[in-house]
Amino acid sequence: MGNNDEWLWRSAVKWLARRPTNGPMGAHAPGSTRAISGQIITAMLIAAISGCLFWLVEIYAQGLRDPRYLDGWLLAGGMGLQLLFHVATKSGRLSPKSCMRWRTFHIFVGYLLVAAFLSHSNFSLPKSGFGWALWAGFAIVTLSGLFGTYLAWSLKTKGRVDERIGYDRIPSRIAELAQDVKAVVAMPDPPADAIALPAAPYDAWIIDLYTNHLKDFFEGPRNTSSHLVASQHPLKRLIDEINHLAPYVDAQGQEKLSRIWNLVTEKDRLDFARVHFGLTRAWLFVHVPVTYGLLVLSVLHVLVVYSYSSGTL
Amino acid sequence: MWRFFWPQESESPKPPSFRRDRLALLVALVAAASTFAAFFLSKGTHFLMPGPLTSAHASIENCSSCHSKSGGGKLSWIHGLVAGDPIADSKACMTCHKMPATAFFPHDASPDVLIASTKRLTKIAATTPEPLSARAQNAAFPAHDVVSRGLTCATCHQAHQGTNFNLSKISNEQCRSCHVMKFDSFDGNHPQFENYPFDRRTRIIYDHASHFDKHFPEVAKKEKAKRIPEACSTCHDSQKDRRIMSVAPFEKTCSGCHLDQITGKERATGPKGIAFLALPGLDLQTLKKRNAAIGEWPDASEAELTPFMKVMISRNEKGRALIKTVDRLNLQDLTNATDVQIAAVKDLIWEIKRLLYALISGKASDVLGDLNIGNGGKKLSASLVADLTASIPRDVIISAQQQWLHNLAREITGGPVTTDPQPIANNHEQSNASTTAAEEPSAPDAPQPPAEKEVPSEKASGPKYDPPACLMRVLGQCLMSAGQEKKAENADPAKSNEGKANRSAGSLPEPMRAGLQDARPAGSSQAGSEKATNQSDDLLHPTDEELREMKSRSRDGTRAPQSREVLSQPDNASAPQTTTAPVNGIESNVDPESWAEYGGWYRQDYAIFYRPVGHKDKFIYSWLSLTGPEAPKGDRSPATAVFDFLTNKNAQGACTKCHSVDDIQGKGRAVNFSPPSTDTKLGRFTNFIHEPHFGVTQNRGCLTCHSLGKNRTYLKSYEQGNPHAFTSNFGAVSKDLCQTCHATNKVRQDCLTCHKYHVNGVITPIMNTKIQMP
Repeated sequence: MGNNDEWLWRSAVKWLARRPTNGPMGAHAPGSTRAISGQIITAMLIAAISGCLFWLVEIYAQGLRDPRYLDGWLLAGGMGLQLLFHVATKSGRLSPKSCMRWRTFHIFVGYLLVAAFLSHSNFSLPKSGFGWALWAGFAIVTLSGLFGTYLAWSLKTKGRVDERIGYDRIPSRIAELAQDVKAVVAMPDPPADAIALPAAPYDAWIIDLYTNHLKDFFEGPRNTSSHLVASQHPLKRLIDEINHLAPYVDAQGQEKLSRIWNLVTEKDRLDFARVHFGLTRAWLFVHVPVTYGLLVLSVLHVLVVYSYSSGTL
Repeated sequence: MWRFFWPQESESPKPPSFRRDRLALLVALVAAASTFAAFFLSKGTHFLMPGPLTSAHASIENCSSCHSKSGGGKLSWIHGLVAGDPIADSKACMTCHKMPATAFFPHDASPDVLIASTKRLTKIAATTPEPLSARAQNAAFPAHDVVSRGLTCATCHQAHQGTNFNLSKISNEQCRSCHVMKFDSFDGNHPQFENYPFDRRTRIIYDHASHFDKHFPEVAKKEKAKRIPEACSTCHDSQKDRRIMSVAPFEKTCSGCHLDQITGKERATGPKGIAFLALPGLDLQTLKKRNAAIGEWPDASEAELTPFMKVMISRNEKGRALIKTVDRLNLQDLTNATDVQIAAVKDLIWEIKRLLYALISGKASDVLGDLNIGNGGKKLSASLVADLTASIPRDVIISAQQQWLHNLAREITGGPVTTDPQPIANNHEQSNASTTAAEEPSAPDAPQPPAEKEVPSEKASGPKYDPPACLMRVLGQCLMSAGQEKKAENADPAKSNEGKANRSAGSLPEPMRAGLQDARPAGSSQAGSEKATNQSDDLLHPTDEELREMKSRSRDGTRAPQSREVLSQPDNASAPQTTTAPVNGIESNVDPESWAEYGGWYRQDYAIFYRPVGHKDKFIYSWLSLTGPEAPKGDRSPATAVFDFLTNKNAQGACTKCHSVDDIQGKGRAVNFSPPSTDTKLGRFTNFIHEPHFGVTQNRGCLTCHSLGKNRTYLKSYEQGNPHAFTSNFGAVSKDLCQTCHATNKVRQDCLTCHKYHVNGVITPIMNTKIQMP
């Protein structure tokens, strides 16, 4: 029991030791508090600017002008800014830091554009086919953008992805882990070999653990659906299996289990990273092409509006 | 650049964005292609419509009906991108919605009105706190930029917002953006009313206070049978026209007491009729002394030149000059008149004769048609002439002419019937003057034969006269047929003057030929007299004087010829010629004025009168309407004379006793005959409807809002012509009174509750459906 308690304690310390830097928002760390404050400030700033936008549009309309021209051009200007980010990233000249700043700004402007779009559509659904096309385009771009933003936030807050690992390196890294765990399990017990005693029964237990649970887990990407919803149940199940075995093995066996424990969590993080890196790439396949389509429709929209304007501005 | 969007294939490993960018470009192309496909497959350019039109406009199918630059083709809408007239589309709106020329000014009001209103409100605004939002709006997006470009319809009326969209919706803040007076709500800093709802005096002069306190009680006391109004609703009604608290018709309200004032029954002094045509009394002695060859003229006349005759004589430049000269003269005392004035009087006499001649020989419209007043030089319409003359029968004028100017026809064609031009032997000048008088017909200033128009040839005038030809018509009766005329000529061919007249008469219109035949043998006259007893025109009832003359003619059949002989005597050159053919043998003790108590024409002394037939008399109405715009107060024009004559305090018809007279700036005056209507409300910014308020007036009824004031100088304001300088019978309605209901969380108080934007109204005319002609 004493060994077992020590192992658990060490595991817990290890686990918690990683949380502050990558922990969830609820963690009571100075960094997370700053993050929460920053997010609140950002949200308040977005709300305030949106409010100002609505008020500006309102007084513009009160001044006997067509407010759709004002919020329309604000929307078009914002979309232009967003497009600049796309151009900048494609140019490949941005440093990773600049790219991160651009992306933050891109997300911020995106939220404001939602407000501008709501104003431009007069808080109502479109009344024509062309209007629906525009509305649907903007809605898809916005929703895909929000999804991407959520992914970014999710990855950051859950802290289970080492962003230094590229998406393309994950399969090879998983294969390495599979080899590692296999090596750990197969590692002989040196004292037992020296005195030629029969193998301790708990070696067989670790091999059973590997055969029944770990082998399949390490063979390739697993638990995709659970990672999509950020569930840690599969990991917890494996950890439990390891923990249940730990009290019954000797110190060397505990050392093995400890290494296996590390490899399992590493593998789980890689699975999680693979799913989220995949999603990050996938949503852009919606976000960017639809943006292009929306751009074309928006240009047509502006042409039509000015062709049929009846003297209002 | 192209490679930026469409990366080139290469052997090297493709970046993750490679496929994505290609897909993006593909999606953009598909979006564009789909849009164009949908556009070209849809009907017309409806695909581009941002939304359905409101139900009132739903039937409009062509975009170009409203969007003037869009054209009819699939791609012609691109023309709209070219800058053009910013109000072109708004002008298209006016194809169906008729608006005044000031449509693109705020409220459709003229700049003058807007400037005046702004000036007035600026003073109030200086003391009124301005809401912060209004200040911000005005600073960020001042509305005057928009207004200065001209307000288009789409500024407020946004189409394509759906079938059930309210196109007239406009917010209080939008209203406020233009106004110098900026306030938050009606129960907030909305300015106090200024003498609302009165912006002018009432058109009908009706002193409520004196009627309630004095007249009604008196009538109720004296004549209990008469109906006295019991409530406001007896006379007032808002049912027919929601904006107007209209007054019930005259017949249902005022006529009980005031009808007799119109017809003249209650008139104690002066004639009850309006003198239309008259032979003015002249100072014949002076005229004779001054050798003014005026021909025959009754010396017993004391009549004055009627204003109507002044207008008729003034229908040309010469007549106007003439009237201007004689207007200051007392025609019955010309002793101090200058030679020029005497000459003018003489010309006037001849003008009067020509006028009478023209009225007999032609149609009234020939004389009145070109009056050249109030119609921009255009001829007056036949119906207006009929109203202006109250359809006076020609026989009335003929009979008057025969009574007054027996030899009118001869004089018009041959000059003055007089042998008077006796020169005073020892006076050279007078001798010359008499010579001139003798040669009057050919002298430059002598009465000229009527113009071709006035004396139509037989051929020209032929169609004007009813067959069979009647050579002598008196008082509506044909006294002599064509055959009789020949007999008359044969019977007395020797008299040179008569022969001359008869020769001339051959070219005269039939009625005048009849006049010339007046001097036939007594037998003929007698026959005519007998026929005259069967006359059907009751209006031609002879005067007492006529009856006496008829009797004397009956007794002495040779008097008529003698009368003509008298004319030829020098001393009687200007003597009155009142002898006439016998017209009616029926005795009557009813004088003509009384006989015409129901209105119409009658003749008395040397004037033809018209007695009003009752309320809305067309004769008076038409003359007032015609002359009013040409009759500024204090003017001395003939039109003003007519207007003043018909609107003075003692005028027959007493129209202006109740109908007020307004000065119209630069346009004379106008009698307010028309009751207030929505048209009279045009230009007003408030839009009050009585009906919804009846439910909240409780026991005090109309007095809840309209407090009847005692001792107000209501009537005094009608002593002058400015309708906006007045004192109302009732107190003004205060804002506080309205505010008891129209307040926050109570009755609505937005601007459009009481105000309307298009103050001059918008009319949607019926469609111009052209009649198919074969």
